[in-house]
Amino acid sequence: MRSLGLRGAAVAILILVVSLVRGWPRLLPVSLCVLGAIYATHLRVDHVTLDLRAPAFAAGLFVTAELGYWSIEEREHFQGEPGDGLRHLAVVALLAAAGLLAGAAVLALADVASARGVALDVVGAAAAAAALLTVALVGRR
Amino acid sequence: MRRAGSPRVEGYAALTALGLVAALALHRPELSVLAVPFALALVLGVRTARDPNVDFAFTLSTDRTVEDSEVEAVLTVSSQRDVDRLEYKVALPSGIELVEGSDARALRLRSGEERSLPLRLRCRRWGVHPLGAVDLRARDRLRLVVWEQRFPGGQRLKAYPHSETVRRILQPRETRVFTGSDVARARAEGIEYADMRAYTPGDRLRSINWRASARRNELVVNERHPERNTDVVLFIDSFGDVRGETRSTLDDTVRAAATLATRYLERRDRVGLVGFGGVLRWLQPGMGRPQWFRIVETLLETWVEPTYVWRKVSVIPDRILPPKALIIALTPLLDSRFVAAVTDLRARGYDLVVVEIVPTGQVEPGPGRADQLAHRLWLLERDVLRADLERADVSVARWGEDVALAAALEEVRTYRRHARLGRV
Repeated sequence: MRSLGLRGAAVAILILVVSLVRGWPRLLPVSLCVLGAIYATHLRVDHVTLDLRAPAFAAGLFVTAELGYWSIEEREHFQGEPGDGLRHLAVVALLAAAGLLAGAAVLALADVASARGVALDVVGAAAAAAALLTVALVGRR
Repeated sequence: MRRAGSPRVEGYAALTALGLVAALALHRPELSVLAVPFALALVLGVRTARDPNVDFAFTLSTDRTVEDSEVEAVLTVSSQRDVDRLEYKVALPSGIELVEGSDARALRLRSGEERSLPLRLRCRRWGVHPLGAVDLRARDRLRLVVWEQRFPGGQRLKAYPHSETVRRILQPRETRVFTGSDVARARAEGIEYADMRAYTPGDRLRSINWRASARRNELVVNERHPERNTDVVLFIDSFGDVRGETRSTLDDTVRAAATLATRYLERRDRVGLVGFGGVLRWLQPGMGRPQWFRIVETLLETWVEPTYVWRKVSVIPDRILPPKALIIALTPLLDSRFVAAVTDLRARGYDLVVVEIVPTGQVEPGPGRADQLAHRLWLLERDVLRADLERADVSVARWGEDVALAAALEEVRTYRRHARLGRV
């Protein structure tokens, strides 16, 4: 599993590097998907009960994505104002922290829900579907 | 402004969807947790983004300038809402370069704030340059939504060609009847002494040369050359252009034409213009400052319009080429149609001078032996063409990288002073 993870990570990094060097933003999520797939495989194969590091891993993925998109945007060479970069870095850090907290809350809810039986499983699935729908609707705007 | 999603929206939506679907499919809540930061950013970013309503203005300190001089411009941007990042890019045409300021900048604007951004531009080439086209892009705080707009501008900066240094210009062989600065060959009332002759009844007393009369024991009067003006027609070859890294034959043609027009008009001569090429343009000979503006404005519209049509001099209206006019042809001597027109004009008896805008500096021979041979043959053909023109009593001045326009014209002046007054 370890060697598989390393190979997958190498592929993800390669995709990320190609995306950054060529300036292709559409390729960037692919590298994150590969990393997510490695993580999912790890959860499935190693039979982890409930991985408490998931919110941190999610925040790390988010920061990677933000920095990647930022890097691609900066290829256009606009002369920015002093403090511009630091301000955006602060926004990214805040979002990552918020994502970490929200992820921890979701994980705690999932832990409670799995202890209460099938009915709450169905509610969780419905909530996930609703979230998916919301994202789709918001994305269409 | 047109609203659109940045690449983040697509990416984050896809990652969120994948995370949630995978969580449902694999029964692993951790995978839904992976989607949480992306979903959070997406929802927050899209819900809080508002159209910033950016206003924009581009002003120039002047709409006319001279080639190689600098012009001040000011970009003014304002926004009714906070804009975290407003990017602008000024589209500069090829003949304009930026000296000071930035043509691509990112700003942060507060609600109601107006910002003025000065730019200093230099006109590298004469012409009419469209200015003021600017691409604006505003981003929200999370950089998820962008608003884009292209302001077309619509301002035009006219850059007049700069003048070459020319102290003396070519004098025509024949003059008109109006007062000017040229010493006419004819004899009449004037300043320049011409000759003496015997007194005839009707001669003015003040023209009697008393000393000569005393020596000859008869009345002798002085004859003088009057000062007259002349007609000059600038005959411009716009069939083609040889453009190198630093020079272009068409650019130099226009510069020489503007210089000569300025100098002749200063001497109260009448100057006309014929642009002979894919597009035929002409300007009837005229005098004074308004004529200078007319000529320069017409020169600014000179460009190469490719054509295979064989043009003859007969397409030019007669009033544009007055008899006795000095015709100065400005040409790189590359298009046989223009050379034929020059020969035709000489055959019609016009006083003609060719200012050759030498293109050889812009043409490098290829590396192969055949290329170099072809280049040498081409140079020889040009020599033959020049000799043919000179045989037809057409003076040819060569103006190129190594010869100043003044020196080229001086050479022709000398040639014309010693050459016979030929009639074909």
